[in-house]
Amino acid sequence: MGFSMIIDIELLKSSFPLLLCGAQVSLQIAALSCMIGLCLGTIIALLQRLNIILLNLVIGAYVTIIRGTPMLIQISFWYFALGLEPFVAAVLGIGLNSGAYVSEVIRSGLAAVGKGQIEAAQVLGLSKLQTIRFILLPQAIRTVLPALGNEFITIIKDSSLASTIGVVELYRQASYIRGRTYDVFTPYLAMALIYLTMTTTLSLVISYTERRLNRHVKS
Amino acid sequence: MLRVERLTKSFNNKKILDDISFDIQKGHIGLFLGSSGVGKSTLLRILNNLETYDQGSFYLDGKKLDLEHVNQTHAVGMVFQQFNLFEHVTVKENITLALINVMHKSTKEANTIATKLLKHFGLEDKADEYPSQLSGGQKQRLALARTIAMRPEVICFDEPTSALDPMLTNYVAKNIQELAHEGFTIVVATHDISLLQKLSCTIYLMHQGKIIERASSHDYKLHPDKYDLINKFIEGAE
Repeated sequence: MGFSMIIDIELLKSSFPLLLCGAQVSLQIAALSCMIGLCLGTIIALLQRLNIILLNLVIGAYVTIIRGTPMLIQISFWYFALGLEPFVAAVLGIGLNSGAYVSEVIRSGLAAVGKGQIEAAQVLGLSKLQTIRFILLPQAIRTVLPALGNEFITIIKDSSLASTIGVVELYRQASYIRGRTYDVFTPYLAMALIYLTMTTTLSLVISYTERRLNRHVKS
Repeated sequence: MLRVERLTKSFNNKKILDDISFDIQKGHIGLFLGSSGVGKSTLLRILNNLETYDQGSFYLDGKKLDLEHVNQTHAVGMVFQQFNLFEHVTVKENITLALINVMHKSTKEANTIATKLLKHFGLEDKADEYPSQLSGGQKQRLALARTIAMRPEVICFDEPTSALDPMLTNYVAKNIQELAHEGFTIVVATHDISLLQKLSCTIYLMHQGKIIERASSHDYKLHPDKYDLINKFIEGAE
């Protein structure tokens, strides 16, 4: 069977604008979720360093629940249980989920920063907040950038789960086209290519950033 | 003048520093000599508020020195054994970071100070490089420049020559001596006996957390026989 028999080129052309609209929504969900995940994950990782037992118990429970339950259930919870708007529920569900994973990634990055760096900052008179801002976080982020990149790529892909609560993002748009045309391959292949383009672009951006940030490392 | 009175520090019921007292005049060098684990580094770390202590009083130029806030007042600085340079910023930024954010200097002012210091230590062509691109000797000079930029009254050196070859050891000794001439009060913790010959200082020989013998380097050079314990340490080290 030839390629043209599986793929309807005309349908591909006509459905592309719709798919791109869906991709735009997917990217919005992913970008906002990444921001929530990164901010929340960083705050959690920093709070864990305070070694407050009660706080660590709460954080531990959050991470365990989030990591131990499917994201689909978490998104559904925000949508059905709290009655949030579909888009908001999706962003919150994915963002809070990401926060748990990012916190673990950042925590390992912070742990990798040598004690001597913190001591040098202290002796120079930097406050604890300044040490976090100027010394700890910049070094930790550099260390964990590949892992963070993976997390952000996962978020782009996971944004498709928003379709289950009615957000018209890329997957939902492709499903509409499939339902209308009874053609499975063309819209789904186009959707896969768009996802691949988004994740590959992000991957390249992360590699470039990693190289730039690590230019101080002797090759 | 730096005065330390009856400093005691224990850890797990073991006395790391046992009733240590000493004075170091302004512009002078106190050389704390001893093998590993005798408490030299702990003493330096206490002076820089990196360790707590059980008992003791500290005075700088006759005024009580509050070690809890010593980092904020920049009265004491430290050049670490491993230098602890900030690897993620450039050589120049290692100096300007604290000048801008702690001393509240303008970027222009901080850059001027950094450029001057880098020139003084022969690192002006390395300003935009990263610490990982420097040699051991250059790293130490940068660590020293970063400390001096904060204008501390007391500078502590933890094992300043442990990572250096003999030629660089001479250079470091010269730098330390120059700093003393400039009026800085210097505290050096070392097990490197060659520094005894190279520095004009007061030697404090430490053993099991106590100062067991003291001598001025001048007197020691003239009358080495008077100082049995220092001689014994040197023989052991050789």
